[in-house]
Amino acid sequence: MFDLAILQQGLPLLIAGLWNTVWLSALGLILGFMLGVIVCSLRLSGRLALRRLGGAYVSIFRGIPLLIQLLFIYYLLPRIGIEAPAWVAATAGLALCCGAYFAEILRGGFITLPEGQIEASRLLGLNEWQILVRIRMPQALRSTLPALLNEVILLIKASSLISVVGIAELTRSAQNLAASTFMQLQFYMAAAALYCVVNMTLAVLAGRMEKRFEEARA
Amino acid sequence: MTQTSQQQVVLEARGMSKQFGDHRVLEDINLAVKGSEVVCLIGPSGSGKSTLLRCLAFLEAYDDGDVFVEGELLGYDRGANGRRLRSRPARLREVRRDMGMVFQQFNLWPHMSVIDNVMEALVRVRGMKRDEARRLALEVLDKVGLPEKADVWPSRLSGGQQQRVAIARSLAMSPAIMLFDEPTSALDPELVGEVLQVMKQLAEEGMTMVIVTHEMGFAAQAADRVIFLDQGHILEQGVPKQLFRAPRTERLAQFLQNYLQRNEIFRDDGKEGYR
Amino acid sequence: MDFSVLTDHLPEIAHGFLITLLSWFGGIMLGAILGLLIAIIQLGAGRWVRAGLRVYIEIVRATPFLVQLFLLYYGGPALGLRLSPMAAGLIGLGIYGSVYFAEIFRTGFLSVPRGQIEAAHMLGMSPRTVIRRIQLPQMMVLILPALTNFTIVLGKETPILSIITVPELTFVLTGIGSETFAYVETLLALCVGYYLMAEFCSRLGQRLESRMGRYLGQQSSGISSERNTAGART
Ligand SMILES: Nc1ncnc2c1ncn2[C@@H]1O[C@H](COP(=O)(O)OP(=O)(O)OP(=O)(O)O)[C@@H](O)[C@H]1O
Ligand SMILES: [Mg+2]
Repeated sequence: MFDLAILQQGLPLLIAGLWNTVWLSALGLILGFMLGVIVCSLRLSGRLALRRLGGAYVSIFRGIPLLIQLLFIYYLLPRIGIEAPAWVAATAGLALCCGAYFAEILRGGFITLPEGQIEASRLLGLNEWQILVRIRMPQALRSTLPALLNEVILLIKASSLISVVGIAELTRSAQNLAASTFMQLQFYMAAAALYCVVNMTLAVLAGRMEKRFEEARA
Repeated sequence: MTQTSQQQVVLEARGMSKQFGDHRVLEDINLAVKGSEVVCLIGPSGSGKSTLLRCLAFLEAYDDGDVFVEGELLGYDRGANGRRLRSRPARLREVRRDMGMVFQQFNLWPHMSVIDNVMEALVRVRGMKRDEARRLALEVLDKVGLPEKADVWPSRLSGGQQQRVAIARSLAMSPAIMLFDEPTSALDPELVGEVLQVMKQLAEEGMTMVIVTHEMGFAAQAADRVIFLDQGHILEQGVPKQLFRAPRTERLAQFLQNYLQRNEIFRDDGKEGYR
Repeated sequence: MDFSVLTDHLPEIAHGFLITLLSWFGGIMLGAILGLLIAIIQLGAGRWVRAGLRVYIEIVRATPFLVQLFLLYYGGPALGLRLSPMAAGLIGLGIYGSVYFAEIFRTGFLSVPRGQIEAAHMLGMSPRTVIRRIQLPQMMVLILPALTNFTIVLGKETPILSIITVPELTFVLTGIGSETFAYVETLLALCVGYYLMAEFCSRLGQRLESRMGRYLGQQSSGISSERNTAGART
């Protein structure tokens, strides 16, 4: 039942899958983060209409299951005449969804900044843009870093769902190997172990950062 | 209330010690409390008073020595080869069934009304019927002077009232001995009296009590014996008069001196100075 | 767009919806019971048992729900565990949920002041009575927001069951979609359906919260749900 040789043969394919998982997640992360910044600034804007828009975005993309979002993009894009490769659609789907979560985390970081600091900066003659970039952004980023890192773990786990549209990331690779070798248990365990390696490393990092941040605040 | 004879030892510690990590908090404590005796524990902050009391109740596991409650070893069982093992929870409950405890922070259960706080253990532990438990609960609430607060939430009560409810809760289980850990330290000064009054009444009725307190006046009036604890040792003990009037050790003299200075309103030099 | 595909297949869709509700509810029940057990064991058990549970929690948290489902459904038979899709889905949701529920309950248990528990012990209450009468009733108010939040999260995981062919809402509607090529209509219906489910659940949670808060007469801030369910979702 337990054929080590086959498992060894399959390993390169799994690693290749892991590599795809990592870079697709990274791409989704970068796009999602930029989207998050934009949505967050909508949510914090002075105009009611923009705030509503940002709110609707967050509510929709957090309210609908990711799998449904992915299917939607996958089936809908061709219908409206956009011929994108599957991996582009998948990454876009990941980014759209995690953008909503990033936006909320960042908003949390911004609204907890003391108002007095910003007033003090104004008195010192900094303009609004400088205040945003020099004063508010660094602090908000630093205080939300553990939460953001946690979100990265979620993103990596969520990326398993893009296997559904046929992209050979880690889960899909394991699926293919499991089906062709009939060693289902072994290959899924191997995939689970690889996810553990990546995510636990990130979790330890997040934990350390949180600790350091709490110490700095104490 | 269980009446214990005057001579019988209710609670006894023999050569007990306790350490937290490397820090030895209690060292070779020997102490016997007889029926109806009122013992007050005094000592500087950090001297180990709370730890001693908590070890006597096995809320904290002591390391060496023995503690006996009415002759039964508390918290440990003797194993076959003479080694001692932690008692199972059920056995621990059995040994300390006659022991009540009152805490500095009252520790009432905020999700239950006053009477439910008092009735809870009667119903769940003693297996009493609800109406019977209610009758008994009202009785003890009457005793601490709060019969009209039965159906109020604890958070609606003043600190003094909460502490009296906590005393009633413990009293309802008719303990043979009650332990108090600074029962008035969390109270506003004007509320201290009502709690001490209840405790004095208990003492007069013959309740056996061990009380950690910073209220020297109370100790002087109500205690049969005062024990001075310093750095985990019993440094001195005796009847209040002797201990307070003629301390034998420098440490105790110093401690009492500090206490008096802290509590004086008019200084000796005649200048008014409220501290 | 033509939404008549939905009305034409109403009985199937209703059945799928029922399965979704069933697996959601079953997953919550199983997960909550397992989670409560884990939290209670973590409170009292020795070092090795606690370490074992920690490993279980960390592994479940670090792996995607989909992989867990595959392990159960496709990997199970190698260990003699042959499950129907529905059983695998339920157990999967239960295991997945258990670790997050455990964290929520653990935080809840720790939120009840130590002194209140000591007082209960001194009055002779058994650990079980203390949990049931002192700790659970108090912490419920505090953890309710986190529980609601995670219930929603778990609901949003149920579409994944369609991948192992559990005939729930997503499975039925995507099936209809590929049969009739009415992808847009069926997917829109799914979006709306799940969105409404989540919305309904959060409204219900809010109402419960204000009720319980009033009942206690003291407003508690609630344990941050973000922290407890951080790491949930897929
Ligand atoms: N759980 C614990 N872990 C480690 N050290 C402890 C613990 N509890 C008490 N200590 C230490 O033991 C010593 C005695 O503490 P204890 O609370 O018994 O003093 P105390 O006499 O009651 O003081 P106070 O008058 O301030 O209440 C202190 O040095 C304290 O820091
Ligand atoms: Mg103390």
